[in-house]
This record gives sequence, structure tokens and C-alpha cells, in this order.
Amino acid sequence: MLYYIPSPTGAYASTQYIFHRVFFGRFLETVHLYTAYAMIMLAFMHMMRDYFVSAHKKPREVMWIVGMIMGFVTLGFGFTGYLLPWTVVSKSATDVGVGMIDALPSGLSSFVSFLVVGAGGDATELLRFYDLHVVVLPAVLLALLTIKLYMLEVHGISEPNTSVKESEQIAIFPDVTIYLMELAAIFGTAVLTISMLFPLTLPASYTASLASQSIPQPDWYFLWIYQILKISVFEGPELPVALGIVTLIFILLVLLPFIDRSESRAIGQRPIYVTLGLVLIGEIIVLALWGLLTPGQIIPVGQAILVLGGTALIIGVLSLAAFRVFARRQETVGPRSITAGKSNATLILAIFATVVSVGALAIGTSLSSFVEILVDGANLLSIATLIMGLSGLAIAIFASLFLLYISDRSTGRLRKRLTLFERIVRSWT
Amino acid sequence: MDLNKLMLSLFLSLQIISTVFLWSLNPTDIVSETKFAIFLAVDLLSFAMVAYSYRKLSWGQMTNSNWILLGSLGLVMLLLSSIFFP
Repeated sequence: MLYYIPSPTGAYASTQYIFHRVFFGRFLETVHLYTAYAMIMLAFMHMMRDYFVSAHKKPREVMWIVGMIMGFVTLGFGFTGYLLPWTVVSKSATDVGVGMIDALPSGLSSFVSFLVVGAGGDATELLRFYDLHVVVLPAVLLALLTIKLYMLEVHGISEPNTSVKESEQIAIFPDVTIYLMELAAIFGTAVLTISMLFPLTLPASYTASLASQSIPQPDWYFLWIYQILKISVFEGPELPVALGIVTLIFILLVLLPFIDRSESRAIGQRPIYVTLGLVLIGEIIVLALWGLLTPGQIIPVGQAILVLGGTALIIGVLSLAAFRVFARRQETVGPRSITAGKSNATLILAIFATVVSVGALAIGTSLSSFVEILVDGANLLSIATLIMGLSGLAIAIFASLFLLYISDRSTGRLRKRLTLFERIVRSWT
Repeated sequence: MDLNKLMLSLFLSLQIISTVFLWSLNPTDIVSETKFAIFLAVDLLSFAMVAYSYRKLSWGQMTNSNWILLGSLGLVMLLLSSIFFP
């Protein structure tokens, strides 16, 4: 703050000055970057941990909502801070983000645009982002942190799901405090080691001509949203639909305590919510990696459905299968079984979903290689891919039929219907 | 002297030495940035090991030798990197 100049002409030059002239300037910038990354990652991990252990449930609903808003503020720090060095990478990516404001309804769009960007072009935009980054967002985060700590004082820390004997409990001070200091010191060591190994380098300064040659790519924590926006069906006038989907995900997460109202807090008794959480994590990772590998490429909607659907199915099936194994163990251990007495319908459903996902992937692979052969001509790789795809499809079909047969053995309903169908066909012939 | 106390003394000594070394660095020199990062990391890691040993010993428990070994290995790596890194 002592050296940085928040103006389009001074931002890059002052950042360079901090890098090369200020004592330990580059080191501090590097540590600042990696700790910011760590903050975003740890905030996400904290949110998912609270989700899985049901810390959002009564009486801590408002704590969850405050925590979620703190998460958005953290993302806001990332978004506003990214622009400040005024490099071609940061400015191009921020322009894409700011451009999304135009997709909002007209009245709201101009209001948000005025608040975030201002009406004075690049100079006002940079100054607003700087103010947001160093004044507004820290103040908001501090206020929210105060509220959260006060509520922590009122409600206490979320209790563990297992009962702990009083004699085994440990004091928050000094035992837990020393433990947290150990973790903080190890975290500091990790950040410093990474900063030493991968020191920050400054990309080129922003100019309109350089920006026109570069492909805008946001920082890693926004890549999953960026990838959703790149799906072909959301291009052009349909952009608000994509933004609506992302907003809906955020709204559902904020309102989670009022949606997931079950009394149960143990992970083993919440298969659906745990599976949904795992699917969310999986989809975010897949979208982010995919976005990283395909900068600027428009994703065909069929491919998106295949990849995202396949990811959801595979994670969902694995999660349900794990729950099934867990339930079996519970049955052998004691009376608190989560599915004791139920049929093996869940297992069959899980395997069926796997088979369907394999089938979906096989159809995608077959179609892709078939089109490749038609367009580019046959080669060994495309023929091998086509054979693999068709083989996978055949396996999926036979496995589905076998599963239907297995599931029908106890009830015989399917067999009765087949017999009926057979009679009708015979009567026709 | 048992191994716990020996390691604790070593970690404490290392922490003091690295702190003194940090103050002796020339802040205007770009090479010092790397050295500063390394010795601050050494300082923090030795502190973590001291705190871990203290926590365990004050509970009347033995320290886990695997953790001590891992921490010591980390410290050796960091100290070696101070020689090889520019």
C-alpha cells in the first residue's frame, strides 16, 4: 500500500518497483499470493467439512449463512486483487468477469456496474477494485468474523457425532491452542517452501493490442464457473441461463440449513446429502481441470453432458456402494445399522448406475470416433477407439440385462410381463 | 539424557540460530530473499516440533518417532536447500 499506485499508468510500474526495488518485495508478493490461494482452498475445505459433519444444522443455521457470505467475500478478495498488478492476464480475465454484469437484468446491471466498475473507464475500475480489496472487503470480513465469533461463543463448537468421555476431553487452552500453533507453523513452513521453489513472476503489462492476442483465463478458483460459461448452449444471449445456474448453486448452499432439516448428523446416516456433497466436489474439480486444459475453447453441449453426467454417475455410484459396504459392517458390529433389514436394492441400483455411466461413456466414445473416421478418414487409433466404444456398449447392454434378470429373481414381475408380451406376440402371429 | 529431551534441545537450538541468522541478512540483496524464506521456514518448523514435543511430554505421553523423524528430515532438506539454492 505504501508503494502501489492504483492507476492504469502507475499500477504495473509500481508493482515492478515493489518486485525489484523494495526490500523483500517479491518475496512478500509471492507469500501474499500463495496465502491467498491457501485461504480460498481452506475456506472451501472448511465449508465442505461443515457440510459433511452437519455443522450447519440447528442451532447453527445463521453461523452457516454468515460463513457462506464470508466465503463469497474471500472470493471477492481474489477477484479484486487479481486485477491490481494490471497485467495483460489479469486485466483480460477481469474484463470477462465484469462483462458478466451486463447479463443481469438491465436495472440491476447498471446499478452493479456503477458499484463495482464506476463510470470512468479503466481508471475508475482499478480504483474501485483497489478500494474494495483494501478497505471495503476487509471491513466486511472483519464485521462478519465478529458476528461469527460471537455466535461461536453463544452456541459453542459443533459437537462431535460420537460421545467422548469427560475424562478424555482436552482443554481449549493450552492443549488445543498449542496444537493449532503447531498446525499454523507447519502451514507457514509449507507456504514459505512453495514461495521459495516457485517465486512469482510478473506477466507483461496490459495493453489493448496484447490483450487482443491473449486468451482470457481466470485464476484457478473461478475456472469451474468459466468452464460452465464456455458450454456451447450458454453462448451469446443464453449467458444469463449459465449465470442463473451458478447463482442457484450458491443460493442452495446458503439456504442449506433450511433444506436439509433432518435430525440426523452422522455421516453414515445421510447417504443422499453426503453423495451430493461428493458429486459437487467432483464436478468442481473436473470443471476446473477441464477449464485449465481448454482455454478459450467452446465446449459442445453433448460433450459437457457426457463428462459432467459421467462424473456425477461414477461418484454417485461409488459413494452409494461405499455406503452399502459401510452398512454391512454396521450390521456385523452392532444394532445401529443404517440399512439393516433392507433388501440389496441399493447395491443393484449402484451397479446399474455404473453400467449406465459406462454405457453413456461408450456411446460418446463410439460417436466421437465414428465422426472422426467420417471426417478425417480411418486410422488405427480411431478404429481401435471405435471398437473399444462398441465393446463397452455391448458390455453395458449385457450387464444391464443381467442386472434386470438378477433383480427380477425374487419378484418375478418382469418375467410375468415378458410372458404376457410373448403371448400377445404369439396371438398376432 | 533421553532422546525426547535431546531432540527438544536440538530443535530449540536450531530455532535460536535461525532467528539470529534472519536478523543478519542483507535485505537489499535479492539472494537474501531465498535465504530469508528458507530460514524463516526452518524457524517455524523447529517451533512446530518444539510445540509438539512439549504438548506430548506435558501430557505424560511419548512423542511419535515418525513425526520427529519427518520433521527432522524436513529441517535437513531446508538447511541443505539453503546451500544449493542461489
